[in-house]
Amino acid sequence: MCKFIIRKEAQINMNNYSLNKTDIDKEKNKGVLITAWKRLIPLMAKEGRSVTMALLAILVSSIATLIAPLIIGHIVDKYIQYKNFSGVIIYGSILLGIYIIGFISNYIQIITMGGVGRRLLFNLRNAIFNKLQELPVAFFNQNKSGDLISRINNDTDKLNQFFSQALMQFIGNIVLIIGAGIFLIVISFRLGIIALIPAVIALVLTQIISPWVKRASLRSLQSLGGMSGEIQESINNFKVIIAFNRLDYFRDKFKVANDENYSASIGAGISSNIFTPIYILASTLAQLIVLAYGIYFISIGNFTVGLLIGFLLYVNNFYMPLRQLASVWSSLQLALAGLDRISEVLSLESNMPVSILEAKGENPLSSKKVIEFKNVSFGYIPNQLILKNISFSLEKGKTYAFVGPTGGGKTTTASLMARLYDPIEGTVLLNGKDICSFEPSKRVKKIGFILQEPFLFSGSVYENILYGNEEYIDFKKEQLEEVLESFNLTELISMFTNGLNTKIISSGDTISLGQKQIIAFIRAVLRNPEILILDEATANIDTVTEQLLEIIIKKLPKETTKVIIAHRLNTIENADKIFFVNGGEIKEAGDMNHAVSMLMNGNLNS
Amino acid sequence: MSVIKKGKSQGGNGAKPKIKMCYNSFVKDKKTQKNNNTITPPKGLFDLLKPYSLIIGFIIILTIASNALNLIIPKIIASTIDTYTSSSFVMSRMVIEFSIITILIFAFTYLQSIVQVYASERVARDLRNQISAKISVQPYSYIEKVTPAKLLTNLTSDVDAIKTFVSMAISSIISSAFLIIGASILLLNIDWKLAVTVLIVIPIIAVIFFMVLSKVRKLFVKSQEAVDWLNKVISESILGSALIRLLNGEEYEYKKFFSANEEAKKVSLSILSLFASLIPIITFLTNIATLIIIGLGGYFVIQGSMSLGNFTAFNSYLAILIFPILIIGFMSNIIAQAQASYGRISKVLNAPVEKKNGGRKRELNGDIEVGNVSVLFGEKYALKNVSFNIKAKTKTAIIGPTAAGKTQLLYLLTGLLESNTGIISIDGYGLNEYDKESLHSQIGFVFQDSVMFNLSLRENIAFSKKVEEDNFTKAIQTAELEDYINTLPQKLDTIVSERGSSLSGGQKQRIMLARALALNPKILLLDDFTSRVDTKTERKILENIINNYPELTLISVTQKIESIEHYDQIILLMEGEVLAVGTHDTLMKESPEYVQIYNSQRSTNQYE
Repeated sequence: MCKFIIRKEAQINMNNYSLNKTDIDKEKNKGVLITAWKRLIPLMAKEGRSVTMALLAILVSSIATLIAPLIIGHIVDKYIQYKNFSGVIIYGSILLGIYIIGFISNYIQIITMGGVGRRLLFNLRNAIFNKLQELPVAFFNQNKSGDLISRINNDTDKLNQFFSQALMQFIGNIVLIIGAGIFLIVISFRLGIIALIPAVIALVLTQIISPWVKRASLRSLQSLGGMSGEIQESINNFKVIIAFNRLDYFRDKFKVANDENYSASIGAGISSNIFTPIYILASTLAQLIVLAYGIYFISIGNFTVGLLIGFLLYVNNFYMPLRQLASVWSSLQLALAGLDRISEVLSLESNMPVSILEAKGENPLSSKKVIEFKNVSFGYIPNQLILKNISFSLEKGKTYAFVGPTGGGKTTTASLMARLYDPIEGTVLLNGKDICSFEPSKRVKKIGFILQEPFLFSGSVYENILYGNEEYIDFKKEQLEEVLESFNLTELISMFTNGLNTKIISSGDTISLGQKQIIAFIRAVLRNPEILILDEATANIDTVTEQLLEIIIKKLPKETTKVIIAHRLNTIENADKIFFVNGGEIKEAGDMNHAVSMLMNGNLNS
Repeated sequence: MSVIKKGKSQGGNGAKPKIKMCYNSFVKDKKTQKNNNTITPPKGLFDLLKPYSLIIGFIIILTIASNALNLIIPKIIASTIDTYTSSSFVMSRMVIEFSIITILIFAFTYLQSIVQVYASERVARDLRNQISAKISVQPYSYIEKVTPAKLLTNLTSDVDAIKTFVSMAISSIISSAFLIIGASILLLNIDWKLAVTVLIVIPIIAVIFFMVLSKVRKLFVKSQEAVDWLNKVISESILGSALIRLLNGEEYEYKKFFSANEEAKKVSLSILSLFASLIPIITFLTNIATLIIIGLGGYFVIQGSMSLGNFTAFNSYLAILIFPILIIGFMSNIIAQAQASYGRISKVLNAPVEKKNGGRKRELNGDIEVGNVSVLFGEKYALKNVSFNIKAKTKTAIIGPTAAGKTQLLYLLTGLLESNTGIISIDGYGLNEYDKESLHSQIGFVFQDSVMFNLSLRENIAFSKKVEEDNFTKAIQTAELEDYINTLPQKLDTIVSERGSSLSGGQKQRIMLARALALNPKILLLDDFTSRVDTKTERKILENIINNYPELTLISVTQKIESIEHYDQIILLMEGEVLAVGTHDTLMKESPEYVQIYNSQRSTNQYE
């Protein structure tokens, strides 16, 4: 096991990357949210200038909105009532000026804040995707791709919507509310307080209800992620669904996910829609109260009609934005729910970093051994070990074959050699040093691993064979062709219709599986690694083409160590040593005959 | 070297061939095809809502009711002030009236919002079901052409846009329209001269509104396409996670994502700049309206042709008028997005349906005839003039170099691929005459690449609907899976992870074999089955198949001659053409290419 400095928040399940934990305890949850804020703040920090500008703009436009009724009231009281038309004109022009200022500041606010929200979305998406690239393979085995896509694309957008639209509305409305509230109290203290009471009650109710709303929103986002997961899986496996006549499976599975999403969304919708009616009620109640008390105060001489008219306007100015706040608040709950889901991903840490501590048994001097396994045990699931206390070593420049019945652990051994996983016990040494201590870029250069199931990216043959290859990626066409020739790969390339330019669709059937393996083969050879691991890399290639591949392998530099995992014996004919892998153990087989008899008579352990 | 390897291989271009092939087969069948669309997709966004007219009608009524009540409030205020100034005011009456209206408004508003949620979720759910139903009647080639990433966006983000439209836009638009009309009438009622001057603002706003809307719709389509692209990048980087880590390609993946993300941001900012000007302009215009009222209305009051109370009411109604206009401005965003998304969805819903199911149901014997079949990918022939016969209950092998068209041939036999020319018949009846379901339940197919579902082992194996217990057990035994299953703590109930990452290659292949055998099929198609299984297991499995399924017609694509030497028939396929057909001995005598393949394996034959 690799030695790391384990931090205090020790991962209890070292290999547990599953995002769908239903029993997250509060401590962990708090930790998760704190990490999330820690990540959001630097993203927001760059936006400091824009946010300030937007804040100023919204302040200006809110003040403008506040002043306008004041001026109108003033005009009514001082000029219209006293039949002074010139006063109306003068103050009307002032009003026009204020409207223009409001227009400009409104525009500034929308465009700056909108930009902030979208840039935040952009940065968040990058952050999550980047995080995914930091996590090891085990993470992807434990989570559904559709759910991850939903988090990156959809949940992040909820935050965008809040920041670009709701937040400024929020602030603007707060300013309007505070302004109107102040005016109300200033105009008439007693009537003002009375007018504000319904609002206070509504606010208290809001606080109480909010956690419920957030939970319902979270549930709806989760169900959306789940539905995306189902869709992804089914559509990607469509050919089996068709061939096995399970189109109903597709429809039914989808219907279940769809219905679940439906009920979760309705729950979220009903809960988040509760705010607006409450505020409307508060608003109308306030108007009623103000009208009643206002008339009463007028009747006892403490108030005037003109004041009442202005007061009612301000009550409206107070409660209208408050109603707006209601929908903003729902948007906030949804954004918080989205943030939760995003932080779940962002708070994950890879438990396979580069180690700086020395491991037991390191001896860099004996560098003849290019790979060494010392007492390695490993299993994908904690209690099911696939490899038990394995020790062996591989020398530079030799060819090794790993054979054995299916499920015996051959691919697992190779995966450990390439550090796709870390052993649970024991050490894997690369060139005499602990493999965990290698920087990925250096380690990856040394090891070429051709996977059993070849994976290609959408693009061209050219792009695929040079994927991750820093050395040749900038080569011009002729230079590259020279390189290909030097590796004896030219003939293979000519097997494709358009040669290097042949188009490939990642999970499509545009080229045959055998051809995909050929591309994967070329890709690995071009990296000229110190260790080349072929995991049944030619299983779907015809035996004639395979001979060509063998020649290519033979012509690789002498120092290249070759590890061949195969079922087909003709591919391991020329191995210097044959290892027999079965039941968690690795034994050396003397020669071909011995290996064959072991294979024939060995116990099937899978 | 060999004739075999030199020469171009099949496949060619990506998207195009599938489209051409799809198109060809559709053109061919157009004359005989009847449109058996049971689902008629709606033509426009508003047609989409027709089935929901009852609920939407209900929403509209509630909206109008609550808004109408809202309109009464200024009237009460106005009459209160007027009756007070004329000393005929009765407090209790006002309070009662007002309270009733308050309660009603609250009730209607909440009811309205609940019904809105319900309606919009219903529309979304039904639309998704429609889309998935449509996908489920499409051929495999359709999915490849349209790409899974796009379908995912259609089912999630695009439907969401329509849902938002239903939940927010409809009632907002209706209530806004209502308020605008209602307030306008009331304004005209009070003083038509003033009202007309103010109402001119509305058509101006409408024109600006529609101009922006038409410009922005195209941008929204682009925005959704950017999401498609994002989906694709993320999806590939997840599927290829092992490879990426092996090649240290994380940085490169990030760059790919970054460009897709950048594009999305760019489009989104363009949309923003269009809308950023719309709302302030509308607000400004409505403010001008207020200004007009202050000026002109004030003049009228000074003149004496308008009462103070009416002036106040006028102002209140104007406030009521302005708010809905702003709302419609805000809604333009949602409307444009919904239209763009709906355009994308209707492409899926309106896609031509695959050819009609044949309908013939019968128990297969297993005699297969293939006559002059050709399959074109673009200009390249994947299969050219392929002809052969297979007798029932025999064992046939298909052998040939990489990319010879072997997989395509198997796909043809099971209906995953359509031929451009030629006939395929089973027991004398054309493949297209059969009822698809009946056919698929009797033909077992084991794919080359492993396809696992995130379900239990049991469900993965018994994947077809009608699997009987005996057939199930027999299949597991035949595939030599019993021992493996017994090592698992939860045995058949063990959940297989997505894409089966916890299983070895050989295990996955055997599970796929068990899946095919669980049907108790009459015909078994194996595509390079033993490529991941060791020799000993392979022998055992083939023995089991022969023993347990004596009536089976077996067609196996393979690389190893040794295991098929005793087969009844071997078909040598190369570059899409049948070079030779016969037994092993016949081919050894007559086909130099076959001999070449044999020789390449000879060296290890001594060991086996």
